[in-house]
Amino acid sequence: MTAIEASSSGGEGINPVASVIAIVLILIAIAIAYFIAPPVAVSALIGVIVGGLLIGFGVHFVPVGGAPAAMGQSPGIATGVAMLAAGAGLAGLFGGAWAAANPEFGFAIVIASGAIGGGLLMAITCLMVNIVYIFGMGIPAASGKVAKDPITGDTQEAYKSQGTEGHGLPFISYVGGVIGGLLGGAGGTLIYYELLKLYSELLPSILSAEAAQVVPIAVSLAGIFAIGMFLVNAVLAAYNITGTIEGPHDPKFKRFPRAIIGCATASAVCGLFAILIVVV
Amino acid sequence: MESVLFGIGVTALAGALATIAGAAEDTESNIGSQGDPNSQVQLAPQMGYIHRIYNKAVSGEPPAYGLWVTISAGVAWAFMVTGMNPVLALVIASALAIFVQGVYATTAYLGRTASLAKFEQPVYIDVIKSVTTVTMAHAFVAVFPAVSMCYLIIAALNHPFPLALLGIVWGIALGAAGSATGNPFYGKERQYQSQKFGAGVPISASGNIVRYAEAGQRSSLDNGWFTAKLAGPASGICFGLIVFFELWRTVLFESAAAGWGAIIAGVVLILIFMIIDRYIEVWARKNYGPYKSESAEEVSA
Repeated sequence: MTAIEASSSGGEGINPVASVIAIVLILIAIAIAYFIAPPVAVSALIGVIVGGLLIGFGVHFVPVGGAPAAMGQSPGIATGVAMLAAGAGLAGLFGGAWAAANPEFGFAIVIASGAIGGGLLMAITCLMVNIVYIFGMGIPAASGKVAKDPITGDTQEAYKSQGTEGHGLPFISYVGGVIGGLLGGAGGTLIYYELLKLYSELLPSILSAEAAQVVPIAVSLAGIFAIGMFLVNAVLAAYNITGTIEGPHDPKFKRFPRAIIGCATASAVCGLFAILIVVV
Repeated sequence: MESVLFGIGVTALAGALATIAGAAEDTESNIGSQGDPNSQVQLAPQMGYIHRIYNKAVSGEPPAYGLWVTISAGVAWAFMVTGMNPVLALVIASALAIFVQGVYATTAYLGRTASLAKFEQPVYIDVIKSVTTVTMAHAFVAVFPAVSMCYLIIAALNHPFPLALLGIVWGIALGAAGSATGNPFYGKERQYQSQKFGAGVPISASGNIVRYAEAGQRSSLDNGWFTAKLAGPASGICFGLIVFFELWRTVLFESAAAGWGAIIAGVVLILIFMIIDRYIEVWARKNYGPYKSESAEEVSA
């Protein structure tokens, strides 16, 4: 198939051959980690893969309108998918890393802190978007993809201004944005937390140093890998969305299984390299 | 108790710095036309509308600010390692990062505008001279508070991330908050000022941006003046609230309920913002009303 024949929407289905190759790649990455690294590395890799899945899935919830939204021509937040998701996820990572620095806090508190950090950024950002639309531009929120808001039941069609596909953030998009932030923040923090545990355990013997001495290096390494993997997964999911999405009610949302397979594979390969730097 | 009071004071200061950073970030991006509305600045010459608007959107705001804040944070850290006073280090590092921004802005304007040569869009040397320095000044006002806030979070609140890593995190978040909040106002209300207020821009009007001012051709500096009235402060409030509440809930409630206090506070804050959003959404539907009669639409359907 040539580029001209390909659908501009990117297609909806899952390619079985590509999916099988992706699953084989994930299994190879886990097998390599199993045979050449200590058991803690395998659990870290699985945590990284799950974190990647959460990020890829979460990006599909974020209502992003891109350039058309900046002219009130389509609903959503007027910026790029990957960047908005990254902003939310990294704010979550900030909160999660802070909680992870407290030795009294367990896994659940750390991940929940990251999730809430991302959700809070999206809750505030989505509110300010609607404030600017409503009080700065005099435009009510309206969806272009559904006749009624699935949560509130508000009709949408009559509130779209002439010649546009809708504007602002209807309530379903707002809720989608918060869910996307929660999932992105949790995913990014999970990657960070798993890598931090791994580095904290393995770096002292590699560097012949005390556990307390390697903490800054472990934190920095885990942090930069978490940010990098967050961007990888957010961009992959953005490619799957192709441009703009209104949120969970958008027909494009149904493409998420494909992104999950892609993000899991990318996370497995990136995660393997993050592990190998302290093993080989 | 004293440490909590100190933490709240630092939180308030960090929130105030974030507010300044957010407001300056959006104004800078609008003067330089770096947000999503720049698609129209790029499109206009292709539709036959030659203009004098600056055009430096070779990157989105989040990665651009991620870069500039991180450069500033990294250089400041290096200065501090050599024993320099932190305040001086932050100021000098921010100034150095802004030179990178200036190089970025100049090359981006030249590159983007030169790509429109076949549509007869000129490269205006006086636009480079007058606008680039103004975007640099605004970028300094955005980057310095952002990196100062990152330093405060580490030095006073003991966040585990190194300064450069916090620079990436909050630089990208700053760009994301500023572009999300400020872009619609710049795009719809300024670039399409001639269109009706209270409605989106019809897709058929794409590219026909406003190119003339009260006297002569419109300058990007006027766009900064216009958007500083609402989009800038709104972006500042957005980023300020994000930073303030993220720190506030942790400083005040982290030790409550065996660590769950900050999480519960975060959930409550999210629900409060959600209720406010729903309230203003309903308020707008009631006060602005539908664009066409809903009953007539049902009949025609």
